[in-house]
Amino acid sequence: MAGAVNIMVRRRITALFLIMGCISFLLTFRLVWIQFIRSEYYQEEALKQRMREVQVEPKRGIIFDRNKKELAVSASADSVFAVPAEIKNAHKTAEALAEVVDMEVVYLETLLSKKQSFVWIKRKIDDKNSQKIRSLDLDGIGLTEESKRFYPNGTLAAQILGFAGIDSQGLDGLELYYDQYLRGAPGWIVAERDATGRKIPQGEQKYLPPKNGNDVILTIDEVIQYITERELSKAMQETQAKSGTAIVMDPKTGGILALANYPTYDPNHFGKYPQTSWRNASISNSYEPGSTFKTITAAAALEEGKTTINDHFFCSGSIKVGPDRIKCSHTEGHGSQSFADIVKNSCNPGFVTVGQRLGKDVFGKYIKAFGFGEKTGIDLPGEAKGIVRPPEQLRPIDVATNSIGQGIAVTPIQLAVAVSAVANNGKLMQPHLLKEVRSPDEKVIKKVTPTIVRQVISQETAKTLCETLAGVVTKNGTGRNAVIEGYKIAGKTGTAQKPGPHGGYAPGKYVGSFVGFVPADDPRLTVLVSIDEPKGAYYGGTVAAPVVREIMRDSLQYLGIPPSEPIDNDKGQNNTGESSQYLEESLNRTIHVPPLTDLSIVEARQMAKLLGLKVQIMGEGSKVVNQIPKANVRVVPDTTIILYLGDEQKNMAQGNTDQKGKMEVPDVTGKTIRDVAEIISYESMDINIHGSGIAVRQKPHAGEKVNQGTLVEVWFEPPSVHE
Amino acid sequence: MDRKLLKNLDYSVVITVCILLSYSLFIITSASFGQFADVYYYLKRQIVWDILGISILIFILSIDYNVIKKASRYLYGFMIVLLLAVLLIGAEHGGAKSWIDIGPFSMQPSEFSKIIIIIILAKYLSENETLIKTWRGIFLAFLYVGIPLLFILKQPDLGTALVFFAILFGMLFAGGVPIKKLMLIAGSGIAALPILWNFLDKYQKNRLIVFIDPNVDPLGAGYHVIQSKIAVGSGGLMGKGLFKGTQNLLNFLPEQHTDFIFSVIGEELGFIGAIVLLSLYLFLLWKGIKIAMAAKDKFGTLLVVGVLSMYTFHILENVGMTIGLMPITGIPLPFMSYGGSSTLANMIALGIILNVRMRRQKIMF
Repeated sequence: MAGAVNIMVRRRITALFLIMGCISFLLTFRLVWIQFIRSEYYQEEALKQRMREVQVEPKRGIIFDRNKKELAVSASADSVFAVPAEIKNAHKTAEALAEVVDMEVVYLETLLSKKQSFVWIKRKIDDKNSQKIRSLDLDGIGLTEESKRFYPNGTLAAQILGFAGIDSQGLDGLELYYDQYLRGAPGWIVAERDATGRKIPQGEQKYLPPKNGNDVILTIDEVIQYITERELSKAMQETQAKSGTAIVMDPKTGGILALANYPTYDPNHFGKYPQTSWRNASISNSYEPGSTFKTITAAAALEEGKTTINDHFFCSGSIKVGPDRIKCSHTEGHGSQSFADIVKNSCNPGFVTVGQRLGKDVFGKYIKAFGFGEKTGIDLPGEAKGIVRPPEQLRPIDVATNSIGQGIAVTPIQLAVAVSAVANNGKLMQPHLLKEVRSPDEKVIKKVTPTIVRQVISQETAKTLCETLAGVVTKNGTGRNAVIEGYKIAGKTGTAQKPGPHGGYAPGKYVGSFVGFVPADDPRLTVLVSIDEPKGAYYGGTVAAPVVREIMRDSLQYLGIPPSEPIDNDKGQNNTGESSQYLEESLNRTIHVPPLTDLSIVEARQMAKLLGLKVQIMGEGSKVVNQIPKANVRVVPDTTIILYLGDEQKNMAQGNTDQKGKMEVPDVTGKTIRDVAEIISYESMDINIHGSGIAVRQKPHAGEKVNQGTLVEVWFEPPSVHE
Repeated sequence: MDRKLLKNLDYSVVITVCILLSYSLFIITSASFGQFADVYYYLKRQIVWDILGISILIFILSIDYNVIKKASRYLYGFMIVLLLAVLLIGAEHGGAKSWIDIGPFSMQPSEFSKIIIIIILAKYLSENETLIKTWRGIFLAFLYVGIPLLFILKQPDLGTALVFFAILFGMLFAGGVPIKKLMLIAGSGIAALPILWNFLDKYQKNRLIVFIDPNVDPLGAGYHVIQSKIAVGSGGLMGKGLFKGTQNLLNFLPEQHTDFIFSVIGEELGFIGAIVLLSLYLFLLWKGIKIAMAAKDKFGTLLVVGVLSMYTFHILENVGMTIGLMPITGIPLPFMSYGGSSTLANMIALGIILNVRMRRQKIMF
């Protein structure tokens, strides 16, 4: 059998076969390794790459004001994506798409040619463009629905709300602070896909629904917020100031009703505004409070018995503190005056004297107790502490300057909270914006109850100080510009020089501020306004007090808080102060009420705002179906127009009913008998008229739920009483 | 054909190859599922190649292999012409200019060049037993391989070039070249690798880089290895079932009907399917070794050794690359991968083995 093959060749061939055997063994060994030992890992890898998980965004919770008016909502918007593997001609596709998505063709082409199974082209585009893309019907270009944050009121409460980013993540303001509640949890669609990323119709699919975010209900009142912003912006225009801040809070609960800063921005397009406009100055800016801080000095001195309200002090126009001399704004001196007058006149020597009587340690204790130098803990990101030097560092001159609000830096919110403590029988309340958190199915997840931080001064001292501060807002006090006829207002003005860049004070740069509360005997509102670097007049009593007055006046009317003080008609007519000027002005100016029916709520609101009218919304729906007063009626500025919402005509007949057949009593205060009669009959209720003129009171109150045919009692008073 | 010759046909080899070809038809069908609307597209074409291949096999069997020896010079010349033609009028498929288009088909001359190299080397080595023990003789053997090698590197077809070396070394070794000299050549070859690195194309360098670590470029050069390993690994012991491999059907596997057909086997038929295939190969090689030993002359022995070296290297490289043991080069798996030229070339090679076996006995008068 064996042929010519010699032994050596046979051996070598055998060796060759051994090599082949070794190779087979090597391959087998490797197969054992990856198919047995590592098999599970590779199975997972195989699953991972073909089971593409697509995240389903949860719907972000709604932010409501205290009356469940929407402040921030999530609307759905389409996002454009590309599957590069399905695109045959990247250049052509890019050219077709470029204009619609507003992107460079070259850049778009590189996106479309990426070696990825999925590329975002543009996120959250508007409806018009998504329609266009749909009609283009390009291969490999798709649209997917995502949710986009929408702020229906535009700039309203911008710095409070903040904004959410492209992935619906809270980035600033309450959107950031309460992100954990609002965000929700994403869901997943798990779908089997092939190597080019195409979904396989008969492949495995799983759907895990997203958990939508919770709704956040604020203490903010949309209407008061609107009033506050309107008045602040008006003041900013008049004073040409650099910036301004206004805070309205409920002194009894610490709930913030409105918080406004100027300049502001529209969170719908936050990227188009400078970042400085996003800042919530009312909590993050520290400034020298000036005379408004004397409230604290007075509170401490009264509480410690260092003075009584009737103790007398002598003001010569200045006071010597060591080598320094502190001047009074009234340079010729106030002469001998009671402590009440010292407060009323904001007399510097008087306050320096009580400050000295308190001494650095006791005074320091009160400054701390009122919450200065510490964060108030308000539920907003970026709060500042202010600057308060510890008592042991204070020299006599520092104690003196601190007692008149200099050499100390506070945030507007700290001051508003401190003054609210005086208004609230000495109880310092925790300021807050959150009222409730509710799940999408309306379950209450978190409820904020008013929290007393501490009792800073006794109830008696607080009452005494309220009376004293009420003396400031009288026709001969420094706060005379905040006077509203019929209401007892307590407050304090302040004018502080701004520190210059090289130490000392910057010439001509002031912060004019006013902080007060109303009604002084049973405070419902604390209002603080500070105007930064106004041009021209800069005294707090001149630039800030009128703003506070306007905010208070409209808010009181809106809240239906009746006047408590007897109105001296003669005095009112003889009053030459600003408030009567305002009254005359506004009486001379009348506005034609525009037709607002058939408009959307946003359009109607804007139209009303443009003309200087206010709106109150009744009912639910997308369109205004009726309005009172009717179009073309002449009204004074700031009259509230009631807008009835509905979808088409169906709500017309029923009026403003809810599911249970109950309806809300409309607010009729400030309306004429004819208007009131129309509003009430529109709601299928009966009316009982008392008196004549303008409606001032009603029973049941606005917002109460009643049955059809309920008798509503309305008291009217002659218009002269109510400007 | 002579009845006696037919009696000497090694039927175990024939049956083994028939099993391999049938096996390949199933896998090719599965591999084309993900790619074409006509799922039998590759199956139909491969059946044509197989029939053509069997016809050529029968033709090869009908001629005495010593006739081939006499024709070897002409074959060598014909090969050079074909390879030149590839460089001049060749068609480029997948980055390499290795094909000549003939109507609807394309031919890959480098597949056939391997066989002609085997023939010319077998002739040279068997006729110059003393010369090949010298450096000069070895150099001449390298020269025979070197000329077509240059053309093939120009295409570039690194895989086939490596097969040339495998054939050359296997045949030099079996032909009786001193082992010390072979080791010296292999040693200096390895030492020269860093210099050869500079002659490599960028994509070839990338293939070697991702061989070390595929995750350097998981969607680019490393994609093939990663996907193939996932396919084979996820197959496990029993596999996912024929026509049920997700890596294959969802097209995560590249070139799953040709170069990566082994990955489909590993995925769908698991370790069992892979071991069955490797066993069939080993059996075939063992049979081949026996034929080589039983050949009636040294020319026949070397022919068989050359073919076995070629098969062995194809199997090692192709299976090895799908499981991350070897860098990626585009050479097909014998009798398994889809492809006309490779099927025909492998059948010719098989024909040569069977031919040597059939004519192992000296003609008895």
